[in-house]
Amino acid sequence: MLFGFILNKLNNTQNITQLIIGETATILEFSNGFVACKLMSMGLLSGTSITLVRKSPFGGAYYIKTENHYIGLRTNEAEHVLLMKNS
Amino acid sequence: MANQTFKIALLGNPNTGKSSVFNQLTGLRQKVGNFPGVTVERKNGAFKLDNNTDILVTDFPGTYSLFPTSLDERIVLNALTNKNDIDYPDAVIYVADVNNLERHSLLLSQLIDLKFPIVLALNMNDIAEKSGLHIDINKLAALYDLPVISVNGRTGDGLNALKNELQKLLQTKKSSFKNFYNLTENEALIAKHIQEKIHVKNEYAALLIAHHVKKISFLNAAQKQELLNLNENYKFNSINNQLDEIMHRYNQFVPIINQTLDKQIAIGNTLTDKIDRIVTHRLLGPIIFFLLMLFIFQAIFTWSSFPMDFIDQQFSNLSFYIQQHFSSNLFTKLVSEGMVPGISGVLVFVPQIFILFLLISILEEVGYMSRAVFMFDKIMQRFGLNGRSIVSLISGGACAIPAIMSTRTISNWKERLITIMVTPLISCSARIPVFAVLIGFVIPRFKVFGFINSQALVFMMLYLIGVMAALFSAFVFKKILKSNEHSFLMLELPAYKMPHWKNVFFNVYDKVKSFVIGAGKIILVVSIVLWFLASFGPSNKIKEAINTATIEASLMQYDATQTELHIASKKLEYSYAGYAGRIIEPIIKPLGFDWKIGIALITSFAAREVFVGTISTLYSIGKDASRQTIQQKLASEKNAAGKPVFTVAVALSLVLFYLFAMQCFSTLATVYRETKTWKWPALQFAYMSTLAYIVSLVVYQILK
Repeated sequence: MLFGFILNKLNNTQNITQLIIGETATILEFSNGFVACKLMSMGLLSGTSITLVRKSPFGGAYYIKTENHYIGLRTNEAEHVLLMKNS
Repeated sequence: MANQTFKIALLGNPNTGKSSVFNQLTGLRQKVGNFPGVTVERKNGAFKLDNNTDILVTDFPGTYSLFPTSLDERIVLNALTNKNDIDYPDAVIYVADVNNLERHSLLLSQLIDLKFPIVLALNMNDIAEKSGLHIDINKLAALYDLPVISVNGRTGDGLNALKNELQKLLQTKKSSFKNFYNLTENEALIAKHIQEKIHVKNEYAALLIAHHVKKISFLNAAQKQELLNLNENYKFNSINNQLDEIMHRYNQFVPIINQTLDKQIAIGNTLTDKIDRIVTHRLLGPIIFFLLMLFIFQAIFTWSSFPMDFIDQQFSNLSFYIQQHFSSNLFTKLVSEGMVPGISGVLVFVPQIFILFLLISILEEVGYMSRAVFMFDKIMQRFGLNGRSIVSLISGGACAIPAIMSTRTISNWKERLITIMVTPLISCSARIPVFAVLIGFVIPRFKVFGFINSQALVFMMLYLIGVMAALFSAFVFKKILKSNEHSFLMLELPAYKMPHWKNVFFNVYDKVKSFVIGAGKIILVVSIVLWFLASFGPSNKIKEAINTATIEASLMQYDATQTELHIASKKLEYSYAGYAGRIIEPIIKPLGFDWKIGIALITSFAAREVFVGTISTLYSIGKDASRQTIQQKLASEKNAAGKPVFTVAVALSLVLFYLFAMQCFSTLATVYRETKTWKWPALQFAYMSTLAYIVSLVVYQILK
């Protein structure tokens, strides 16, 4: 657990739920095939840069933005989008 | 030359302006139905290419790829992989948005590999034009090996060129030479097997079938098992192969697009961002939403009251006119007392449905609806509902019929079904007249805290109880119903734009038309049947009743009007409906209802507000009596034992019964139309009636 956390820190990776509002990061990979298939069909690929616009008022959903569109995701989908922080 | 009809599929991603192109192509010559066997909305339209070429175009649901994740997308896959499907197209019009050509090319590349003759309609939206985006259409056409036409869904520019290109395409049947994906060795082997076994011509179609064996509706169980075994033998990892294929496709078409397009427009810090900063705000967002819904709710009531009264008035004038000007026989009575009120009962709902769908379509067109879904998804999920359910539930406050129709936008079947099942628990406008008459018995008029009207407070509480009952029932259904469908929310939030009025118009037109024709037929039939039951009785009973009533009236020295009212009341008592009331009396007695109330419960099936009219007739109260008159009359009504019929306990029990019971045949018929089976309306009727019965029973037995 702890080791994984440290590794994450070292590699500078995180998922969408760990972003703070307004933060931008680049998609590294997806940790779930179904989510990957759907999001890639919608134009989110590894290498795509995304920004977290907002969290939903009652929680549970994330509103992200890419270069040319906006997408809403639930927590259990957002978790599977692994990101590389833009530095 | 004989007339030729071609089938065209209109395909594209969601939010490409596809429906605008559809409306431009077909105008009013369109028809909304369902895809066979499923309840996904299917829009068909017709137009002529020339004097002997007819085109039948199907507007398919917006789709991201042929790797379906929703019922909508599954339909597209099924129609395109099965040559015998009624929607299998001769050619495809593919609509893509020029701003998003990259991601809109994924599905296109799959269609190209399926070797359909395709014309690409590039929708040039206003943003693209303003920013001077330049695209080399000829180069794109050459590289994709397809005809490419730039169109404008708003103005209709380019539509003629599109039709010309389509005509050429239908003659040559030419499909693109381009191949975007070469199957891996393993995939090719599987595809070959499938091509032979189920006679599929196209290699890529066979691969798609291998990917989605369970979702392909034209395979029988044995074939499915065979193909699943085949996948197993080849150790076919469907999801990984899909991901590799998507990447491969992007690698193919991204360079092409980069060669033809000047630049991609970044949305940056645009108007949409600014609007969303307020509209989806943690605090302001929900407040704005509820204000909007309150406005819709208010609009449905206030804007519709005038046209509704007008329609009502015109039809009672018509009934009166028929009674005055035609000899009184069975037929004219059927027309003036059965059919005309029946038609009136249908048309009277049109203003509400019109206003509701007008406002909802505008919110949808503008792009607001998907934000509402995003905001409320979490809460609604807890009750087994979807973010979009909230719109249906609120619409249910006007009328359950359009509310249930509006659930079509919920793509998850289980969530949609639960929404349909619980929406009629929200108090609709037809319950108001019933509540208004009865609340007077329960609650004396006084001021709470000095300024709140006690009766208005009870009204509010009734609405609240309805909402709570709906959420509670939804929760129960969530636990009971099984679903294999993956519930997800990966939802595109389109940039805000001005509504495209033509789309709004067609949307509202479709909804009103399908209500009038669909639900209307049933309301009309039910009204006629109920008229028959209330006007006729077994053998000579009615005649006897009339004679007795006439004698009674003369003994009591009634004047002409009183006599007429007395006869009408006795006639109803001895009609079939009257007998039905007596038959159900033992069942409803524990709730405090006598057989006269039983009659009103039965006639209410045409529409709940009929209760007031029936009660008025039964107690010889004139048609135009005010609410106060009805209340006074009912309060003085005594039963055989000399006790008042309408006590507080009875009235409260009756109010709660009307709050929960499924007493609306039109709603049941609408549920049938939307679910395609009588199972759900039957279950809905059963659970709501049981709920009503139990609540009324408990309340009456405690209070009496």
